[in-house]
This record gives sequence, structure tokens and C-alpha cells, in this order.
Amino acid sequence: MRYQLDLTLRHAEGALARVLGATERRGFRPLSVDGEAQPDGDRWHLRITVEGERGEQVLEGQLAKLYDCLAVQVSPC
Amino acid sequence: MSPPGRPPHAGVDVHAPSAARARNGARWLVDALVAEGVDTLFGYPGGAIMPFYDALHGAPLRHVLVRHEQGAAFAANGYARASGRVGVCVATSGPGASNLVTGIADAMLDSVPLVVITGQVATTLMGTDAFQELDVFGMTMPMVKHSFLARRAEDLPRIVGEAFRIARTGRPGPVLIDLPKDVQVAPAEHLPAHARSPVDAVPRPPDASLHEALALISQARRPVAYGGGGIVLADAVADFRTFVDATQMPTVLTLKGLGALPSEHPLNLGMLGMHGSRAANTAVQECDVLVVVGARFDDRATGKLAEFAPQARVVHMDFDASEIGKLRRADAGVRGDLRRTLAALTLPCAAHLHARHGAARRQWRAACQQRAHAHAARYDAPGDAVHAPTLLRRLSALAPAAIVACDVGQHQMWVAQHWRFDDPRKHLTSGALGAMGFGLPAAIGAQMQDPRAQVICVSGDGSFLMNVQELATLRRYDLPVKIVLLDNQALGMVRQWQELFFERRYSEIDLSDNPDFVAIARAFGIEALHVERAADVDHALDALLAARGPALLHVAIDTAANVWPLVPPNHSNAQMLDADDVASLPLAMPESATPPPEKPHALPA
Repeated sequence: MRYQLDLTLRHAEGALARVLGATERRGFRPLSVDGEAQPDGDRWHLRITVEGERGEQVLEGQLAKLYDCLAVQVSPC
Repeated sequence: MSPPGRPPHAGVDVHAPSAARARNGARWLVDALVAEGVDTLFGYPGGAIMPFYDALHGAPLRHVLVRHEQGAAFAANGYARASGRVGVCVATSGPGASNLVTGIADAMLDSVPLVVITGQVATTLMGTDAFQELDVFGMTMPMVKHSFLARRAEDLPRIVGEAFRIARTGRPGPVLIDLPKDVQVAPAEHLPAHARSPVDAVPRPPDASLHEALALISQARRPVAYGGGGIVLADAVADFRTFVDATQMPTVLTLKGLGALPSEHPLNLGMLGMHGSRAANTAVQECDVLVVVGARFDDRATGKLAEFAPQARVVHMDFDASEIGKLRRADAGVRGDLRRTLAALTLPCAAHLHARHGAARRQWRAACQQRAHAHAARYDAPGDAVHAPTLLRRLSALAPAAIVACDVGQHQMWVAQHWRFDDPRKHLTSGALGAMGFGLPAAIGAQMQDPRAQVICVSGDGSFLMNVQELATLRRYDLPVKIVLLDNQALGMVRQWQELFFERRYSEIDLSDNPDFVAIARAFGIEALHVERAADVDHALDALLAARGPALLHVAIDTAANVWPLVPPNHSNAQMLDADDVASLPLAMPESATPPPEKPHALPA
């Protein structure tokens, strides 16, 4: 299954690595990554496409626990 | 001699801090730790953390100098587990930081609140492969609840406040603060004093999910409560006991849930899982509703997940929403504060005690209790050799209020099976990570958090040598920890698996060249005793407990003793093995690897 992850992150050191690392460790392979920092510099908006066999709710729950993750939505694509 | 918990020269301050010293980042941090309520930290100094240690000099904080950074992380871990407060450990950059890693991982996997402070090379040197430069921020990313790299002194108030708040909020965990040397020495006079951040409130359980849970439980004819470590983390032990008493629900506990219901409670069927009791595992396999409270379907608890509790509909209560449905679909998931959840469900569930399924539930309860009685552990082992479960049961009776810190291996499972716990905070065990070397430093941390507590470390000969250097810490602070070292001259759990599942090809488990543990303890200035005959155990335990300071009891046990019962890996919990079943296993036994026969004191449970 393929999923799209729409994330809002703090623009903090390590935030991108945490999200990508957690995604891979929880069994999802990134296929594309797209994102940019907001003009005021304190937020990242990130869109990641992943594929994996596990349920998307598990991934969403784990990403939501990251301190730097302010919002996450995982949807099939 | 100094009182317990104080080093020999405590109070002799030959370099009293000067009030005239300007406040820098390191001194701000020390003041912040005091303001945060920290009383003890465990650590080891080195180059990149020297400004912090300079600031520590004369500060109203007790620093426990360990002999290896892993000991600091485990000691802070034991301090936090036993007290419920945030443990703090400190190390320098590079090897100091990397030596902390196993203790940080253990805290993450077992949800222990830690704040870990590591020195780092100056920001101008970061990224240049400088001496003792290591990316501990990146290295620990998968094993922390969060981490900060403080690049400016001005960031310290926010970082330190958030670190403590994150560590203790919700499901606790470790938070790392990496602190470059130039930030430690930067001026900090202008920074505001540290203010402790309040912990986030745990959300109330939604009413709709409570109604769903109640509806399922009310339909149960064969309910079982499955309690885990989340109960004590949510400070919900009393609420859980009230729930079990009111609903009269047979109860099983995970390794980390032990003590949430007293061992002697008539509804407590014991631990479930790989080395769980037959009564607990059978009840779960036969129940029709499984009420999961603060547990997470760990593979050591469930056995083959697809065959776990096959007839049960699941009510899963947890304050970590991400655990609900992670491994087993919940028919009713209740996310939020466990105390409120249990309080809300107790009376309505109890009202069903005598409802339409009342007779069926009474019959089920009686069957569970009868099975627990029929399969109760036996302590009448024949033979002269020491039977470890009997020794532990006896020690449990002699020291019922003790905090027990375990290492990892067979002895850890024997403690779980045979010690009578009545408080989860008195059972310190490396559950999820299974880190050998945990026991002794964790016991030191537990003793430090309460100098009056009776603290016992139960270790094995493999685990003990992994952090044996902390005997020096025990002696230095004159901590009256009592160590029971169960020595089977082997890596016993690995040996057991090789015997049962690898056709008795014994590979690198022989520790028959162990050192003289009694002599080692005495070399550290610690009283030590030895016992090898069952008849001498009572006397040896009495002598151990009567020792005024730290003491070690070296116990020679049978190399071939195994932990029973056992669910083979990737098998259903219904497929438990006892010693009697082993003969039926398809084992090939090469002549060159013929093990000694297990002595007759290995009793089936």
C-alpha cells in the first residue's frame, strides 16, 4: 500500500531526520519527499509518499508522538 | 565512616566556590537542576563537560561518581524507576556519551523518565572530527523521547524546561541535552532563572469509548484482566486493584506489571507469556473478553500473536493512544487517563457481577483459581544443591518490603516467577531491552533515592561481570545493597535455548572459568559469603541481610537448571513446556556436547 504523509514540523534541528527515521523503522519505505520551510522559518511543511504493508494508523500514531511533529495526516494514495 | 550515600570525603570542600564567579551556561544549568528539584545525579567527568563539573563544585546537588558511564545511565534509571521522579545522568562527549547509550535505550523501551546531559566539543569544532567529537544527538535519535542540541546559552531556559517536562509527561522517557563546551562557558547572567514546567494533563477518556468498553465487559462470561507497566506509570495501581476487586476478574500481569496486584491476591494468576504461569497463559487463551490495562502485547507476553487469546474480544485501555491497535485490534479502545478510565468503569462493571452471566463468571473464576492452585510452583526440591527458585522465595519472605533490582537472564525470570511483589516500583528489571549489567547500578540508584530502603540486587554470573566495576561505587558511598549472585557458570538462558532449540550445540556459553566472586567483592571492600548446599541457604540469607553495609552472597547453582515453564519461540502460549516435556522434543545430542543431566530438583511448575 502507498500512503501520503502530510506533516507540519517544528523547524528544529533533527526534525526531518526524526520523521524519516521513524517512518523507515516502523516499516515504511519513502518513495518521495517534498517540503519547504515556511517564510517565518519556524515550521516545515513536508509531504512524503511511502509504501508499506503495515497499517497507516500505526505510523500516524508513532509520528504524532514526535515532539517536533505538530500535525500529521496519513492517507492512502 | 561516612553515613550511607555520602562519599568518604563529602563535606570536606577544599575548593569552595567563589560567590564572585560569574554565572555562565554551566552554572545556570546547575542552578536550574536545583530549581527543578533534582537532588542526585549520576555521572563521570571528562574534557567537554568540565565546565559543568566546575559549576557542580560546591552546589547543593549530590553527584554520584560511577566507574563507567553505563553505570551512570542505569543508576539514574534505577533511581527513576524506584522513585517515580526524573533520573539525571551526565557524561562527557565521545566515549562518555556513547557509553550511556544502552542505558538511554533501556529507559526508552521501558518508559523511564531520564534527563541525560552530555558534553560536546565547542560549536566551532563540531563537524571537524575534533577530539572526542561524536554525534550523540544523531546517534541516540531512535532511542530518546526527544533530544536537544543547545547551540546558544540563550536556548538553555527553554531546552531545560522542555526536557524535564517531556521526560515526565504522558508516557515517560529519556530526553538528551547535548551541551557544547562553549555554551557551558558562555555568559548567562542575563538568563532568567529556571521555572519548572507543569506536566501536560492526560486527556480524559472519551465517554463513547467508555460505553463501548462497558458493553463488551458486560457481555463477558470468561473475562480476564491483563495488566502491564502502564498501570504504575499512570499512578493507577490503587484504581486497578479496586477494579479487580470490584469486578472479581481473574488477572494476569506482564513482567513490568508485577506488583500491580499483590502476588498473594486470590485473583492474581501470575505472569503471562514465555515464562508465565500455566494458570495465567491458559486463562488468557480461554477467555472471551480480555481487558488490557496499560499493556502493549509485547511478543514475550503474547507468544505467537496470531494465536494469542484466540476467543477474546479485546478492551484496550492505555494513555498512549499509539499502543491501541498497534499489534492486536481492539474491539473497544479507551485512550486517556487510566485512573479516570478505571474509576469510570469499576462500578458499572461490578454491577454485572450478579447479572445474567454471574453464574458463568463464578464458574470461570473458580476454574482459574483451581488451575492456579494445581500448577502452583513447588519449593520442596530434593537433593543437596541450591534450588534458585526456593532461595528466591525464601528471600522474598525474609525481605518483603525490599526493592529488587535484577539483571537479565534465567535469574531474572526466577525473580519474576517466585518473588512476591506488592508494588511495581519495587521490581526493577530491564524488561523490553533485556540489558545485562542493569542490576547492580540500578540497585545503586534505587538505594540513592531512599537511603532507608532495603535494596537487593539479584544477578547472574554473566550479567554481574558486565558492570562489576560499580562495586567500587557501592563501597565509596557505603550503600547497604545486598547482592545475591546466582552462579551457574554459564550464560544460562542462552544455554537453555541451545539445549532446547539448537539440538544441544552449546556455543560460547561456558563460564566455568569464572573468577572467584567472593574474592572480587572482598577486593572492593565488600563483605562476601558463599553457599552451595540447600541446607545452608537459610543461614546464608540471614547473614546476608544482617550485614551492616553492602554485602554479596555468591550462590553456586546447577549449570543445567532451566526456567520452567517455557513457551517455545513463535509458539502459542497454549504450548507451554515443562521439564517433563523435554524428553518429547526432537533433540539430536552430539556426543561431544552431552550436557550434564538436569538434577532432580528442577521441578515442573
